[in-house]
Amino acid sequence: MFRHTPLRVAALALLAVAGIGYAFGASYFGLEILTEIAILAILVLALDMVAGFGGMVSLAHGALAGVGAYGYAMLQAQAGVAPPIALLGAIGLTGALAWAIGAVCARSHGIYFIMATLAFGQMAYSYIFETPVFGGDDGLGGISRLDLSVLGLDLMDSRNFALFCLAMVALAYAACAFVLRSGLGRSLSGVHESEQRMRALGLTVWRVKAHVFGLSGMIAGLSGALAAQHIMYVSPGLLSWTVSGEALVVVILGGLGTLVGPLVGAAFFVVLKHEVGAITPYWHLVTGLVLIAVVMSRANGIFGALEAWVGRRRAARQPQPLAKEVPGNA
Amino acid sequence: MLETRNLDKSFGAIHVTRDVSLKLERGERRVILGPNGAGKTTLFNQLTGEIAPSSGRIILDGADVTALPVAQRARAGLSRSYQKNTLFDGLSVADNLGLAAMVAQGRGMGLGRDGLLHPEVRETVEEVAAQLRLSDHLDARVSEISYGMRRQLEVGVALATRPKVILMDEPTSGVGPEMAKGFHDLLAALPRDLTLLIIEHDIDLAFAVADTITVLNYGEVVFDGLPEAARGSSLLKEIYLGSWEDA
Repeated sequence: MFRHTPLRVAALALLAVAGIGYAFGASYFGLEILTEIAILAILVLALDMVAGFGGMVSLAHGALAGVGAYGYAMLQAQAGVAPPIALLGAIGLTGALAWAIGAVCARSHGIYFIMATLAFGQMAYSYIFETPVFGGDDGLGGISRLDLSVLGLDLMDSRNFALFCLAMVALAYAACAFVLRSGLGRSLSGVHESEQRMRALGLTVWRVKAHVFGLSGMIAGLSGALAAQHIMYVSPGLLSWTVSGEALVVVILGGLGTLVGPLVGAAFFVVLKHEVGAITPYWHLVTGLVLIAVVMSRANGIFGALEAWVGRRRAARQPQPLAKEVPGNA
Repeated sequence: MLETRNLDKSFGAIHVTRDVSLKLERGERRVILGPNGAGKTTLFNQLTGEIAPSSGRIILDGADVTALPVAQRARAGLSRSYQKNTLFDGLSVADNLGLAAMVAQGRGMGLGRDGLLHPEVRETVEEVAAQLRLSDHLDARVSEISYGMRRQLEVGVALATRPKVILMDEPTSGVGPEMAKGFHDLLAALPRDLTLLIIEHDIDLAFAVADTITVLNYGEVVFDGLPEAARGSSLLKEIYLGSWEDA
């Protein structure tokens, strides 16, 4: 059940200050890393909403982000639609596709749900790869970024684009928090805890799953549309299942079902990739070791471990009342 | 209020319920007795839609609900508690009751304000908690309260949907006799217009709560009548080996 705790609010404030502060002090390379973190953060927020709060571990989210990227590219670069409309169109398209995937997969659970979403993701990858209009293996270029000149912002400037992406992270976070605190989001948490009981209470479970999966897909689509604008080029690799796998690793590293943790995980993952990658091409080994350490420690990721530690300290300071069973007040 | 007509469920050659016909009036409190394997829980699962009957009909408040899925039957006013707790273990007592009330009030699909904080939801949570004497534990997580309280909360979650009929599958399962008696006092204090169908193993407690008693044996109704008549039934004594001689 999603709730803002003081620790989460403090962590969000710290991340915001660090991100904005870094944006104003970083070099071009640093700004590129910051933008990469922001785009990944949006994708993992979307994934955490369904996986962390609904138990729907998706291996389709990389493909959904890819659909958002291709949707933006096709609308803006190929059809000549204005970038803001192309952005909204890409988000809407991805949301609709995600809703359909969620509706179909809603009746499966666990490994079967994972495999079903993987299948959908691979179908999307193959379709994009094999269809000439999408440019095949060569992908599509000529993509423009949004024009925010009315606000005095040139998004071709790396700093402005990084700040814009950070603003989109804040928007995506607010959207996730809004959904998770709504009746729909509370129902999702209930379904995650006991699907059988929620159904017995009168909830049409598949609809809840499909709606939230669709909303999550919209956020993944935003991530993809930003990725397309970032590198101004899209290729089928954006839809690869390994993107979904990396996103899942990031969510687990950060803290599944915390919404704040995946933001931490995104920053940790991208920085690790670039810093360790500068030393050795085997940076994946280091990431793997960190992931194994996190999983074996039974902590819920980096942020989950921090929350557990703070919780233990708080509990240690408070005397615990003894539970007493009496007839009629059992 | 709730009626079954010739309800039959078989798995291959095995009849789990056979030609079960029951009729519960509004506000009636009926206890279902029967040895293990008599088909009591299977009957409940058919009533709620978790298992489809092989034949027969289920009528709820004048409407045939036999073909309706679980959620629609719940929305029609049929709620249940389970023999094994199916609570939301990671959530607080208030959130458990709140989720039930929120869904029942049609706020489980909406975007917008926090469904659990809606005044009507909060009101239901407080009322049900007071009915089941859980008001002092609303903020406690399910994992932090005693087993007896969890059994009460299991019924509370069903109650928070404001149903017309509640099916309770062994609500006092696993609790001690003293606590079970207190629990049944709580059930007796529920509004009289609420129809209760209760599976209960404890004969004494069954007689304390029931307006009527139905006994199942090998999936068949072998007794259906008033508790006073049940006490004198030689067939029931045979089934239960005289276990309620002292009742």
